[in-house]
Amino acid sequence: MNPMELTSPDLLLAVAALTAVVVLIAGNTRAGGWLATLGYALQFGVLSRMAGLGYGEPAIESALHFDVFGWSLFWRYTALSWFFAIITVGAAMLTALFAAGDWGRQYRRNGGSLRLLHTALALNVVAMLLLLGSGELVGMCIGWELVSWASFLLMATGGAGAVQAALKYLVYAIGGGMAMLAGMALVYSLVGSFEPDALAAAVPNLSDGQVWALVLLFGSAFGVKMALLPFHLWQARAYALTPAPGATFLGTISSRMGLFAIIMMIIAPIGLLRLETISGPLGLLSGNEILAWIAVFTIILPTFTALRQNDALMLLTWHGIGQGGYMLLGLVAGDKLGLGSAGGIMHVFNYATYQAAIFMSVFAVVYRTGTADLNKLGGLITRMPISFVAMLAGIIGLAGLPPMSGFVSKWFIYRSLLIEGEPLLFVGAVIGTLGTILSVYKLIHNMFLGQLRLEHVKVREAPPTMSIPMLVLVAVVFATGWFPGIVLDWVAAVQASIGLPVIAHHWGGIDLPAGGLDMRWVVSILLGGFAAGAIIFYGLGNRHRAVHQLDNYAGGHFLSGDVRYQYSANFYAGLMRLIGPWYRGTFQWLESGIVSGVSAASMAAQGVLRPALPGAYLLLTATLLLWVIL
Amino acid sequence: MNWTELILELLLMPLVAFFVGLAMVLMMRKVAARLQRRVGPPLLQPLYDIIKLYGKKTQVSHGVMHDIGIIMAVGGYIAAETLLPVPGMDGIADKGGIITLAYFLMIPALGLALGVGQCANPNGSIGISRALTSMLAYDIPFIIVVFGVAFHFGTTNLADIVRIQQEGGIGGWGIVEMPLMALAGLFAMQAMLAKEPFEVYIAPPEIATGPMVEMGGKYMGGLFVMQAFQFYTMGVLYTTLFLGGGENWLSFLVKIFLVILIPVTVTVIYPRYKTDDLVRLVWKWPTAIGLVGLIFVMH
Amino acid sequence: MSDKPIIPIRDARRQAPQRSEYSNTLARVWSELTDFCRSRSMYMLHYCTGCGAVELPPAMTSRFDMERLGIQPMATPRQADILLVTGYVSVKTLKRVILTYEQMGSPKYVIGICSCTVNGGMYWQSYATAKRLSEYMPVDMYIAGCMPRPEAVIEGMRDLMEEIKSGRADSWKDYYRNYNRYLGNQQRLFGEYWQTPTDILAEAEHYELTGPETRGSHTALLDKNEKPLEALHSHLFSHKQGLKESL
Repeated sequence: MNPMELTSPDLLLAVAALTAVVVLIAGNTRAGGWLATLGYALQFGVLSRMAGLGYGEPAIESALHFDVFGWSLFWRYTALSWFFAIITVGAAMLTALFAAGDWGRQYRRNGGSLRLLHTALALNVVAMLLLLGSGELVGMCIGWELVSWASFLLMATGGAGAVQAALKYLVYAIGGGMAMLAGMALVYSLVGSFEPDALAAAVPNLSDGQVWALVLLFGSAFGVKMALLPFHLWQARAYALTPAPGATFLGTISSRMGLFAIIMMIIAPIGLLRLETISGPLGLLSGNEILAWIAVFTIILPTFTALRQNDALMLLTWHGIGQGGYMLLGLVAGDKLGLGSAGGIMHVFNYATYQAAIFMSVFAVVYRTGTADLNKLGGLITRMPISFVAMLAGIIGLAGLPPMSGFVSKWFIYRSLLIEGEPLLFVGAVIGTLGTILSVYKLIHNMFLGQLRLEHVKVREAPPTMSIPMLVLVAVVFATGWFPGIVLDWVAAVQASIGLPVIAHHWGGIDLPAGGLDMRWVVSILLGGFAAGAIIFYGLGNRHRAVHQLDNYAGGHFLSGDVRYQYSANFYAGLMRLIGPWYRGTFQWLESGIVSGVSAASMAAQGVLRPALPGAYLLLTATLLLWVIL
Repeated sequence: MNWTELILELLLMPLVAFFVGLAMVLMMRKVAARLQRRVGPPLLQPLYDIIKLYGKKTQVSHGVMHDIGIIMAVGGYIAAETLLPVPGMDGIADKGGIITLAYFLMIPALGLALGVGQCANPNGSIGISRALTSMLAYDIPFIIVVFGVAFHFGTTNLADIVRIQQEGGIGGWGIVEMPLMALAGLFAMQAMLAKEPFEVYIAPPEIATGPMVEMGGKYMGGLFVMQAFQFYTMGVLYTTLFLGGGENWLSFLVKIFLVILIPVTVTVIYPRYKTDDLVRLVWKWPTAIGLVGLIFVMH
Repeated sequence: MSDKPIIPIRDARRQAPQRSEYSNTLARVWSELTDFCRSRSMYMLHYCTGCGAVELPPAMTSRFDMERLGIQPMATPRQADILLVTGYVSVKTLKRVILTYEQMGSPKYVIGICSCTVNGGMYWQSYATAKRLSEYMPVDMYIAGCMPRPEAVIEGMRDLMEEIKSGRADSWKDYYRNYNRYLGNQQRLFGEYWQTPTDILAEAEHYELTGPETRGSHTALLDKNEKPLEALHSHLFSHKQGLKESL
């Protein structure tokens, strides 16, 4: 290894490692959070030096490589790695800033260890950057395990309940790791190499059964991290119980490592075309349709579970699972113009920005009021307007409405499904969106709107260290909604680097002969409409006068502050009268479904693999057995 | 395109929408009156109402979001009108298309929901919870219709959808080629306009007009303006998707008034469903009709 | 009910039209237009206290059809222009009537239907009934009768329409200008801790509707005893908490 050949990825990893060391030493001091923020800012700087990757420049090799037992381990940064890395480091930077000031002091006062928290966060970033740079399967496996253990560490910082949830995650992660090892073994026995390129070259010669085995193994390995159905049960609770910066970081980007790995090991080497040719059980659905249906169920079920939550954080983490489904759905939609995959990849960025904004807003409220219980809040808009704005921008994005960026990525996914003629997937995705609208309105209503409780009359806006990251995110969400071309440039580079069709985009979206989208116009006209509405409202009619919240219609009743005049519990009572019973037993059903699904998969694998590869079959069976036992 | 012409279109389209929408509100009240053997309001009644409401001396606000909610409700529709092609004016129909429009129509609803939320009145909040629930119900058949129509005509551009239908003559209209879709769309429209039997979220005797409970003066005026836009938008959208849009203004107006005549007539002769019954009904019938229609469209 | 005497309320309605105060033609035209629209679009809130309420459904439905005059029922005080009090007003009810009246947006009009609102009617001897509605809030019109027929109700409405159109129906201003007197009568019935959620004094000042008798001894008592009801204005940092301290 020649030190003269150090490249930007090396510098990035070095700075990341240095950040981890610095916060390990100085994490508990007053400056700890600021040093961490500085470290991530430096990493961000290095990443912006590599920005060419996002505009189609070739991959940058890292000086870090080993030769072990004749395998070559190497790391390099491609457009895909860069895209995920910039989100990772951005999220880490803003969450570290969020925790640097008052939040950190309060956390320490309440007995938390800031050193542990910051170190766990920094280790997560290092592990993820290492994973994102890995060039072949062994390095990826190392990175994967590091990421799993680092996120376990971060989750475990949250106290007893969190440790329990994190242990549950660990069980899943170990199972996923086993599946990954089995997948690696299968790849090696089929191809004789651990490099995705070699696998890609060999894919045309593989039988359908072998491809299925690969998809199944890698899909379940990475699906655990991404919390795809049916491996999603660990995530919501584990994330919700993590302290603020940790939950924000994990919720926004950590799970997306699963998507990255799925792109690396399934989408890129096997390719959507091959997935379309392999057929599922009874020959009914093709490979990518099965994945798309998994994605749609991952959208719908967690979203409607979120609708039932009474805790703001649980609600958000359940939505995080659901939003992952959109990303996978877009990726496997597979139209020839690359619309779907662009939407799916873009959604990773969009989701990270608005989800982080909502998380921070919720944590700001928790910081000030001490609760995230949706039935114990209300009316905080007058007390915490910045947090309200952050949450408003965030939920408009999460619900996928214009003018925020979430609309653009979802539009691409819908448009792709329309081109492909997939009405049921389309309707399924829209049902998810509608469920999201219901649930996020409940979130913002029960926290910020409605009646202010007596005990919250003296609540103040969150301090600037917490509100500035929120405002930055709001600006990003809005800007990338108005000019989605900013992100689409990177997305196009990612598509090119993994061999998908590249979308012909422009700053405002895409021009298609059969109906495109130009967000510059859409957002401008919407703002113009709002301006016209404002002129009508403020220009016409007498000036308004704000009244006290108790000056309110109550059928002639005199209201007083000590009697609650708020509607929050069982918010969608009418809907729940119909669909409430559908939830009953869902969890037990799913848990047992996982077990039987796994045994079915193992039987299928048995049928496929035993004739072909006795060795791999044994390994696989052992893995699955372990997984089921665990 | 010529810039001045475009700007003129962008100004004219909402203005036309407003006045046509007012006429539709009048039609609704007149139809109700005639069916109840009454005389009904005079010709300019909707205008009197709006001027009176804006002319109120005291305007009660419950906070900034209450104001912004009204602005979003009115402004969202003003913007949406420019995405709807009318005879001679396409506006910016080619920049958004039908998926964008379907989502645009949720903006006024969201604005209203936020505004009502700040009123801190449980009647309003219950109204919004019911409104969003019924949105969850009717948007499923609506989105099936959107998908089917866009798939059938091979485009999401509303101006192109109108052009393709007009080139095919009456035989090329959506309602002839996709009668089941048109039926499902009509069903969904009844719920989108919140007319009986789907008027769950206004429900004056139950929840004191729900979202409107704390609205007076220009706040209420804004909602009246929004209602006019809503009628117009629904009429034009349905005409665009199924009735070949407008060849000229005369046939266009005839079509959109006929379309709106259906929900405003049905509303007078039905009582109101419970919320869960609404969801059950809409998920069962229009959705099933739409899905069957979809099979015909796609094969 | 205390032994304090009832404060006489002037009949405020018979004042000269207010139009002359407009020197600007445009403002006068606008004022006339809005007055005309007000007269042609009256939203009723009926506070159905007594038997008179039964006469309103026929007045609204097919037989007499108030909607042809632009009159229609509304659900809440915020939306309404006219408060119809349709019968006797007990002391307990009167509190709610006043609350409702104050929540309505001005210009607002009150119509007392049935003899009970005029002088207590057959409840004259009741200890628990307020005899004259106009002692507690400005009443634009009484429609006497026990009960008045729908024709009489509509006749009264038409009279009110005429008065609104000509700008004479401005007794709602009287409530702001003489609030001290009305409040005095209310305090006489309800005691010194009487308070409604609507801050009439602040409203009068906000819309510049105060008169020489807006404030007085009774509003001073209200100021002394009332629980604060200022609006919850949005604020970023409370006045003492500066940016520096919170960093």
